[in-house]
Amino acid sequence: MSTLVTVEHLAKSFGDHQVLQDISFGAEAGTVTCIIGPSGSGKTTLLRSLNALEIPDRGIVTIGDCTVDFATITPGPRGRLPKAQRELLAALRAKSGMVYQSHNLFPHKTALENVIEGPVVVQGEAVAEATVRGRELLERVGLSAHADKYPFQLSGGQQQRVGIARALAGRPSVVLFDEPTSALDPELVGDVLGVMKSLAAEGWTMIVVTHELRFAQQVADQVLFIDGGLVVESGPPSEVIANPQHPRTQAFLTRLLEPI
Amino acid sequence: MKRTVVAALTAILALVMVAAPATAYDKSSPAAGLPPVLKVGTEGVYSPFSYHDPSGKLTGFDIDVMNAIGKKLGVQVQYVETPWDSMFAALGAQRFDVVANEVTFNDERNGLYDLSDPYVETTGVVVVADDNSTIKSLADLKGKKTAENLTSNWSEVAKGAGATIVGVDGMTEALANLRQGRVDALVNDKLAIQNYLATTKNPGVKVVAQTDDVSRSVLAARKGSGYLPQLNSAIAALKADGTLTSIYDKYFTAKVAAPTTWELVRNNAWPMLRATITNTIPLTIISFAIGLVIALVVGLARMSSQPVVTGLARLYISVIRGTPLLVQLFIIFYALPQLGIKINPFPAAIIAFSLNVGGYAAEIIRSAVQSLPRGQWEAASTIGMNYATTLRRVILPQAARTAVPPLSNTLISLVKDTSLASTILVVELLRQAQIAAAPTFQFFAMYGVAALYYWVICLALSAVQSRTETRLNRFVAA
Ligand SMILES: Nc1ncnc2c1ncn2[C@@H]1O[C@H](COP(=O)(O)OP(=O)(O)O)[C@@H](O)[C@H]1O
Ligand SMILES: [Mg+2]
Repeated sequence: MSTLVTVEHLAKSFGDHQVLQDISFGAEAGTVTCIIGPSGSGKTTLLRSLNALEIPDRGIVTIGDCTVDFATITPGPRGRLPKAQRELLAALRAKSGMVYQSHNLFPHKTALENVIEGPVVVQGEAVAEATVRGRELLERVGLSAHADKYPFQLSGGQQQRVGIARALAGRPSVVLFDEPTSALDPELVGDVLGVMKSLAAEGWTMIVVTHELRFAQQVADQVLFIDGGLVVESGPPSEVIANPQHPRTQAFLTRLLEPI
Repeated sequence: MKRTVVAALTAILALVMVAAPATAYDKSSPAAGLPPVLKVGTEGVYSPFSYHDPSGKLTGFDIDVMNAIGKKLGVQVQYVETPWDSMFAALGAQRFDVVANEVTFNDERNGLYDLSDPYVETTGVVVVADDNSTIKSLADLKGKKTAENLTSNWSEVAKGAGATIVGVDGMTEALANLRQGRVDALVNDKLAIQNYLATTKNPGVKVVAQTDDVSRSVLAARKGSGYLPQLNSAIAALKADGTLTSIYDKYFTAKVAAPTTWELVRNNAWPMLRATITNTIPLTIISFAIGLVIALVVGLARMSSQPVVTGLARLYISVIRGTPLLVQLFIIFYALPQLGIKINPFPAAIIAFSLNVGGYAAEIIRSAVQSLPRGQWEAASTIGMNYATTLRRVILPQAARTAVPPLSNTLISLVKDTSLASTILVVELLRQAQIAAAPTFQFFAMYGVAALYYWVICLALSAVQSRTETRLNRFVAA
């Protein structure tokens, strides 16, 4: 196996608040990395940095053949990034697909239109071709019957699965999931996790921020526990979840398993 | 209220214009002669002095006199119709050379403009109901009620005679009050009353006395125009050969029947519809379209991360929303010529309305865009869209849903606001109604038709609005 995603010494502050101190990890192609950690520990910020939605202060992110050294990404005199840097970020962004906690579907477009929007409008794929592929993707997430519905006509779980299909449509190297089930009613969680599990089985490279420990145990190849802007502990789920070494990991898992 | 604002505004503009450019104009026109085409400013809605006959032709006492003067001097006369309130502003802005519109001589005016010798004199008359035999002179008004326009000098005359004044808008209303017995008398201009008596079938009122003061109507030109010697010699010649007297008789002595209300409506329904189709509707559509483009640019600039850009956008919105549309129109039409920028009425109206719509709609678009969740921008960015594509494909279609109702309000207001273009010489629906109503004083009927037309347009727009809203709402839960 080859390393697909490499993150080196990533750091990010919002004002005085240093959210990411120094984050480094790697992910092999075709593996699932689960990121766990307390609320506010910087998991979303980390994921958004991989997608260049957030510009870290320092650190190097490599996805496939695209490497961005964020220390060199600095705004020009009028607060705008130079063109070459914007193109570099766009190239990095194109490497990943993103599934959000709140699906962020386009409400004015049907499920199918949401899925093919990127391929048609950005990548210039022919509509007919993209439509065929879009229907396949929707079928893959179990929504072939709902292709022509608007997001408001779908349940939360269905919306999230359209979000997954949309993320896959851009043929990303890696799919980023930011707590994809935490906004869902409990009975809808299973559908979404089931789809993610099957994607993992198909060999998609996935980085998943989640609180679903059972999912992480069954599916993850590695688990990162993040706290205070650092990777506190990492390794296979059998170690990090089943047998955590660090007291902060232990405390976090205890709180997660026994909330009361 | 509006008239007062307009009048004050015009006065200011007129002063500015008279003060500055008059001398500059001297150089370009030799004192010796008149231009081969003499442009004459006149109201066109001031019966019987300057109005349109049923066929639509500009006519009236002042028009006939001015035509006779032009003929005598061998110059072609071209009329530029202008509301009285902006007459002197337009004269200063060189929209025309001479005003022929019953301009009354007074010393103040004489200091500001070149005023010709008088071509007609008039005086005040006391008018009472046919069956009134107690009021026989001005002095008899003591303790009686008279109907007067409060800003006219007739009001002063009546008050001076000891009468109680009932304030009205104009002569038509004053006469109506008199006929209905709500007042005992009125004092008004002799020529206007005589014309009323000459053109009305059963006037129901009579003239019983004249006032002492005489007012003289003169032509006005910019100070230093050099036109006066020729204009005065022509007036003298027309007096001598009886032309002035015969024009006078035509309007103030001969008995001519005025059309009935129904005839008036029938004769003017089409010209008013034509003005709507050729001016009101194009003004609305073009201004709204350009205004939306401006609004989009300004609305986005307002959200820019560049402080200078945001500042400029804010300034623009603040100026547009903080000043009356009428002032904006006047500045573009009457004040810009002072800077050497002369714009014709229709494009001037388009510019003013577009800028105005731009200012209001910019805020509507901004708040609609800002009401969308950040996640929409991010989702678009994640699938690789740039700013422009995100706007076009994701943001604006959703913002449209929020923006359509307030934008429709702006559009419907704009339909009615186009009536202000009448003040800068665009013959749109309201102006056409004024032209139609002027010869007969039947303002109610003509304004009623105009109101109906505006209403129908707005009804149609409301229907389009609700269809658009339904279409845009298809992607949200009921
Ligand atoms: N745009 C931002 N501006 C300022 N603070 C932010 C911003 N985004 C996140 N933060 C802060 O950074 C911290 C980490 O946030 P986040 O990455 O969302 O944590 P997590 O996803 O682990 O709950 C939080 O304290 C949050 O308030
Ligand atoms: Mg988070």
